[in-house]
Amino acid sequence: MGKRLAGIFWSLLFLAVPVLGVATFAIAPAYDYWLPKDVSEHGASIDSLFYFILALTGVVFVVTEVLLFWFMWKYDAAKQKGEATYIQGSHTLEVVWTIIPAATLLFLAIYQMNAWADVKMRRPAMSPTVEVVGRQFEWRLRYPGRDGTLGTADDLFLVNDLHLPIDEDVLVQLKSMDVLHSFFLPNVRIKQDAVPGMKIPVWFKAREAGEFDIVCAELCGWGHYKMKGRVTFEPRAAFDAWLERKYAEQGATQPPPEAADVAAAE
Amino acid sequence: MTPPPVTATPAVEHGTVVGHAHGHAPKAGLSHFLSTYVFSKDHKVIGLQFLFSTLLWFLIGGLLALAVRWQVAWPWSDVPVIGKLFAQEGGQMSPEFYTMLFTMHASVMIFLVIIPILAGAFGNFLIPLMIGADDMAFPTLNMLSYWFMWPAFFFFGASFFVEGGAASGGWTSYPTLSTNPASSPASGMGQTMWLLGLTMVGVSSMLGSVNYMTTIILMRAPGMTMFRLPMTIWAMFITAILQAFALPVLTAAGFMQLSDRMLGTGFFSPEGNVVNNAIAGAGGGQPLLWQHLFWFYSHPAVYIMILPAMGMVSDILTVFARKPLFGYRPMVYSIAGIAGLGFIVWGHHMFMSGMNPALGITFMVSTMMIALPSAVKTFNWLGTLWGGKIQFTTSMLFALSFVSMFIIGGLSGIFMAATPVDIFIHDTYFIVAHFHYVLFAGTAMGVWAAIYFWFPKMFGRTMNEFWGKVHFFLTFIFLNGTFFTMHILGAVGFPRRLADAYHYETFHHLQPMNAFMTYCAIGMVATQVIFAANFIYSMFWGPLAGRNPWNANTLEWTAPSPPGHGNFDYQPIVHRGPYEYSVPGVEKDHLMQTDPPNAAAAAAAAAH
Amino acid sequence: MHAHAASISPGHDDGHAGDDGHHGHVTLQYQPGLPLSRGKLIMWLFLSTEIMFFAALLGSYVVLRFGAPIWPKPHHVHLSEPIGAFNTFVLICSSVTVVLALEAARANKASLAKIWMLLTLLLGTLFLGVKGYEYSAKFSHGIYPAMPHSRIYERPDLYYGSAVRARLDELRKTPVGQVPSALRDPADAEAKSGDTVDLLQRLDAAPADRLSADQQTARTRLQQIQKIVMSADQQAFDMAVVADQVMPLPAEGADHGGGHGAHGLNDAFRWLRLPTVIPGGNMWASTYFLLTGFHAIHVAVGLLVFGIMCTWTLNAKRVGAIENIGLYWHFVDLVWIFLFPLMYLF
Ligand code: HEA
Ligand code: HEA
Ligand code: CUA
Ligand SMILES: [Cu+2]
Repeated sequence: MGKRLAGIFWSLLFLAVPVLGVATFAIAPAYDYWLPKDVSEHGASIDSLFYFILALTGVVFVVTEVLLFWFMWKYDAAKQKGEATYIQGSHTLEVVWTIIPAATLLFLAIYQMNAWADVKMRRPAMSPTVEVVGRQFEWRLRYPGRDGTLGTADDLFLVNDLHLPIDEDVLVQLKSMDVLHSFFLPNVRIKQDAVPGMKIPVWFKAREAGEFDIVCAELCGWGHYKMKGRVTFEPRAAFDAWLERKYAEQGATQPPPEAADVAAAE
Repeated sequence: MTPPPVTATPAVEHGTVVGHAHGHAPKAGLSHFLSTYVFSKDHKVIGLQFLFSTLLWFLIGGLLALAVRWQVAWPWSDVPVIGKLFAQEGGQMSPEFYTMLFTMHASVMIFLVIIPILAGAFGNFLIPLMIGADDMAFPTLNMLSYWFMWPAFFFFGASFFVEGGAASGGWTSYPTLSTNPASSPASGMGQTMWLLGLTMVGVSSMLGSVNYMTTIILMRAPGMTMFRLPMTIWAMFITAILQAFALPVLTAAGFMQLSDRMLGTGFFSPEGNVVNNAIAGAGGGQPLLWQHLFWFYSHPAVYIMILPAMGMVSDILTVFARKPLFGYRPMVYSIAGIAGLGFIVWGHHMFMSGMNPALGITFMVSTMMIALPSAVKTFNWLGTLWGGKIQFTTSMLFALSFVSMFIIGGLSGIFMAATPVDIFIHDTYFIVAHFHYVLFAGTAMGVWAAIYFWFPKMFGRTMNEFWGKVHFFLTFIFLNGTFFTMHILGAVGFPRRLADAYHYETFHHLQPMNAFMTYCAIGMVATQVIFAANFIYSMFWGPLAGRNPWNANTLEWTAPSPPGHGNFDYQPIVHRGPYEYSVPGVEKDHLMQTDPPNAAAAAAAAAH
Repeated sequence: MHAHAASISPGHDDGHAGDDGHHGHVTLQYQPGLPLSRGKLIMWLFLSTEIMFFAALLGSYVVLRFGAPIWPKPHHVHLSEPIGAFNTFVLICSSVTVVLALEAARANKASLAKIWMLLTLLLGTLFLGVKGYEYSAKFSHGIYPAMPHSRIYERPDLYYGSAVRARLDELRKTPVGQVPSALRDPADAEAKSGDTVDLLQRLDAAPADRLSADQQTARTRLQQIQKIVMSADQQAFDMAVVADQVMPLPAEGADHGGGHGAHGLNDAFRWLRLPTVIPGGNMWASTYFLLTGFHAIHVAVGLLVFGIMCTWTLNAKRVGAIENIGLYWHFVDLVWIFLFPLMYLF
C-alpha cells in the first residue's frame, strides 16, 4: 500500500509540470510579465507567430507530459498484477510520429519565411535615415543633416537620444566602432548585432508615438549592462522640428569630438 | 573465429563487494598506490577519476551560478559571506566581476563538468563493461586523456587569480571583445588561459574519442553485434564521432584567437578596428568567422552534452519499466540523425549576427528538421513506459524527469528556430531557459539517474533510496522554480548577460520574479548537500549490492561489483539484445545478454 | 603506440603490451569487427580529426581571402613558385621512400628498410630546411605574421609616410655596432659603445666604386624619398611613389621570380629595412604562417618518429608501426598538396 501511495505521489508530481507550466503562462500576462507593447508595423506578424508556436508547442507539451503522467499512474508496478507487455516497437507508430511532426515543422518553416524576409531581407529602397554606431558603452547617432546624405559636413551628431518619425519607413545604418553590440528595440521587435567592419541595414515602421528603450543585447564588455539609449517616435512634423532644434544647437560650432571618431570608423 | 573455450556464466552472487576477478596479492608501497589509484590505466579507475573531478567542478560551477543569481536578483547589494573575498568596495560585486562570473560558470559547467562527466566518467566506466571488453583498446592513451584535463583544470582554476581575473567574454568568447585586450580591461591573461584550457580539454576529448571508437568497433564480446549494443554504447559511439569531427575545428579557431591575442594577427578583427581609442592591430579579418567556427563545434557539442544522457536514460527506463525498449532501431537511427543534422544547423545561433539573412533561412529549415529525431526519441521513451511495470526507484525518477524536462527544453528550441521569433527572444532569458532545461534539467538529471543506477557497479554498494528520493524531489521542484520562470522573463525580452537590467523601463518590474528564482536556486544548491552526503556515506557504508541489484540485462551486471582488473571472471558470450525484459513464457522477468539460449528455451518449456 | 605485426584477427593484437595487469584473469575474445588492427584503426580515426583540423584552417583561409577587399599576388609577397614546387617534389619523394621502407620491412629486409627510412628522414628534413629558408626570406622583407615585427602597411597613406620617416630618423642614429661593413669607417673601431652614426649621410658620401651601378641608382631614389617624406606637405599621392621606391609591386604578369635582381631600396640595401606597402599583406602573412606553420609542425612530429624508428631494427615485426607512420606521412603530404596551389599558384 505504501508503494502504491508512492506511485501516486510521483505521478502527481509529474502531472504538476504541465498543470503549473500552463498556469504560469496563463497568469503571467495578467501581471504584465509578458511581451512588451508593440508599436511597429511588422511586430504583429512576429507576435502572432510567437503565439502560434506557443499554442503548437503547448499542445505537444501538454499531451506528452500528460501521457507521461498517465503511464506512471497506470503502469505502476505496485498496481500491476501480471507481467509488463512484451513489445519491441511498432513500425506504423514510428512512421506516424515521424510524419506528423515532420509535416508540422515543415509547415512552420515555410509559414514563417515571409515574416523573416520582411524584417531582414526586403530592404526599402531609400537612403539611411540615421546611422547608429555602437561604441563601448553608448549609441552614437549621426543624422544626414539638411542635405540628406551621410558623411557630409552638415551631419548631425548625437548620443543615445534617437528620434524617429512614425508612419513611414525608416532605415538605420548600423555599425560598430569597437566590439560587437546588438541594437535591440523591444517595443519594435527589432534586434540586430552591430559588427565592427560591417554596415548592416535595419528597417522598420513605427505606428505609435512614444519613448522607449534601446537595449544593447550583445555582450560588449563590463559596461554592457548600462549601454542604454532611448528612442522617441513622433509624427513627422515634430520630428522635423526636433531635428531643426538639434541642428541649431550644433550650429556652426565645431562638430563634437566624437564626430571625428565616428567618421574614422567609416 | 574459434568458439571461446569457457562459457560458464557466473551464478549471480549476492553480497559480494570484493568479487575481484582474480586475487590481487596486496602490494604495499607508494608506487603501487600511484599506479592503482593515480596513474592507473584501468578504465574504471580513470572513469571514477573523471567522476570525482567533475563533481567537484560541478560544485564550483554551481556556486558561481549562485553568485550570478545573487546579482541578477539584488544588483549591487552586498554579497553575503563571500563578498569580502573579491569586492573592491564593501561586499558588492563590480560589473566586470559579474561578466567573469557567468563566463566562468558556463565554461566550467560545459567544459569541465557536462562534457567530461558524460564521455569521460560514464564513457570510460561503461564502454568496456557493457561491450564485454577487459579494458579500452589503448589504456595508456586513456590515462593521458584524463591527465590532459589537469592542465585545463589548472588554467581555468588559476585564471581566477591572475591580474584582471578570469575570462569575461562570455563562454562564446566572441571577438573583438575577446581578441583585443584593450576592449576588456577585466580580462587580459584570464582570456588567454581560458583559450589554453579549452585546447587542453580538446586534446583530452580527442584522445578519448578515438579510443572509444576503436574499442567499440574492435572489442565487443563474441555475439555482441552492433545491433545488440545497449543504447548507452550507441550514444557514446556516436558522441565520439561528433567529438572527433567537430572538436578539431574549435581547436583550430582557438589557435587563431590565441594568435590574435598574443602575436597581434587580425584573423577576427576588421581593418581599422579602434578600441578604447587604440588602433587594434593590422586587422583585415572577420569577426563573424569566429562565430562560424565556434558554433560549428559548439552546436554539435550541445548534442555531445545530451546524447550520452539520452542513451543512459533509455537503458534505465527499460530496466525499471521491465519492458523492452520501444523501437530499438529507430532509437539508434535517431541518434545518428541528430548527430548528422547537428553539423548543418550551427547558424541558428547567428540569426542576428549580421550573417546573410538568406543563409539564415537554410539554417532555420535544418534546425526545424533536427527536432524530428528528437521527437522520435521522445515518443519511443513514452512507448517504452506504456504497458510497463514501473518501479519508482530514485534512478528511475531522475530518468523520468529527464524525459519530462527534455520535452520542455526541446520545445523552447522551436521558438528560437523560428527566425522571426528569434529576433525578439535572441539573447534574452528565453534562451537561458532553453539551455538550462536541456543541460541542467535534462543532462544533469540524466547524470544523476546514471549515478544512482551504476553506483553499485562502481563501488559495490547501493545509495540510500530514501535520501535519494528527497534529493530528487527537492531538486525537481527547485529547478523548475528557477528555470521555468525564465521563459516568462524571456517573453518580456529580459536580456541575458546584464549585471543590472532594472534601469531599463521595460524590465524594471521583473525584480520580484528574479528574487523568487534566486531563492529557488539557493534551495537547489543547498539540496545537493543531501546528495553529496548520501554519495560519500554510501561509498563506504551503503548496503552491499551484489552483481546485479536491478535485475538488468546488460553485460556489466554479470561482472563482480566492483569489477576487478580485467573486468570479467569468465568469457562473456552474447546471445541476444539488451532489452529482453518480461519475455512471455520465461519465468525470470529478464533474460541477460549472456544467458545461454538453451536456458531460455528450457525456462520457456518449464513454464508451459 | 606499440603496434606489432599487423594482424587482422580479433583479440589481443596490440595495445596491451605496456599494461601492467593481466596476471592470470581470463583472456577475453572478441567479436570480429573491422578487418583492421587496433593501431591502424585508431590511426585512421586520428587522421580524420586531423582532416577536420586542417579543413578548418583552410576554410578560414578561403573565407578570409575571398572576404578581403584585396589580396596580394604571390610575387608581391616574395613567394617563389620554383622553390615551392621543388619542396612539393621533395615531400612527394619522401612519401614514396616511406612506402619503399614499408615494402622492405614486409620482405623482412631490415637494412634496406632502414636505408629508405633514413632517406625519408633526410627528405623531410630537406623540406623543413627549404621552408626555413623561405621563412627567412620573408622575414628579411619585413613580412612577419603580425604587428610588432611586421613592416607591412596596407596602403601608402600618411601613416605609412610617418613610419618611413621614423625609420629614416632611426637610421640617422644607428649604433656603431650595427653599421654594415660597406659603410664602415676606421674611426668606428675607436667609438665607444652607445655612439651612433648617421648612416644615411654615410651612404650619400659612399665612394661610387664601393657601390654597384644598381646600388647607385638606388641611392638616388633614397634621396628622392627622403625629400618627399621630410617635406611638410606630404600628399598621399607622393607616398605611393615612396612605396614604389621601397618595394615596387610587380605588375600583373611581370616576370619577377622572388629574389632575382635588386628592385626596391630594401633589396639593394637590406639593412635599410624601410616599411613597405603590400595591400592585403598583413592578412596574407597571418594566414600563410598559420597554415604553413601548422603543416611544418606536423612535418616535424613525423621526423621525430622517423628519427626514433631509425634506431630500430625494421624487420617484419615493425610493419604495423611503419604502416601507421606512413599513413600519417601521406596525410601530411596531402595537406601540402592542398597548400601549395592555394598559397603559391592562385
Ligand atoms: C544539450 C543541449 C542542447 C540541446 C539538446 C538543444 C536542442 C535544441 N536547440 Fe538549443 N541551445 C543550447 C543547448 C541545446 N539545445 C545552448 C547551450 C544554447 C545557447 C548557447 C548560447 O548562446 O550561450 C542553445 C541555443 C539555441 C538556439 C539559438 C538561440 C539564440 O541564441 O537566439 C537555437 C535556435 O534555433 C536552438 C535550437 C534548438 C533546437 C531546435 C533543439 C532541438 O534539438 C530540440 C528538439 C526537441 C524537441 C522539439 C522536443 C521533443 C519533441 C517532441 C515532443 C515532438 C514534437 C514537437 C514538435 C512537432 C514541435 N538552441
Ligand atoms: C551544463 C551547463 C550548465 C549548468 C548545469 C548550469 C546550472 C545553472 N545555471 Fe547556468 N549557464 C550555462 C550553463 C549551465 N548552467 C551557460 C552555457 C550559460 C551562458 C553563459 C553565457 O552567457 O556566456 C549560463 C548562464 C546562466 C545564467 C545567465 C547569466 C546571464 O546571462 O547573465 C544564469 C542565471 O540565472 C544561470 C544560472 C544557473 C543556475 C542557478 C544553475 C544551477 O542549476 C546550478 C546548480 C548547481 C548545483 C546544483 C551544483 C551541484 C553540485 C553537486 C552535484 C556536487 C556534489 C558534490 C560531491 C558529491 C562532491 N546560468
Ligand atoms: Cu554594447 Cu552590449
Ligand atoms: Cu545550437
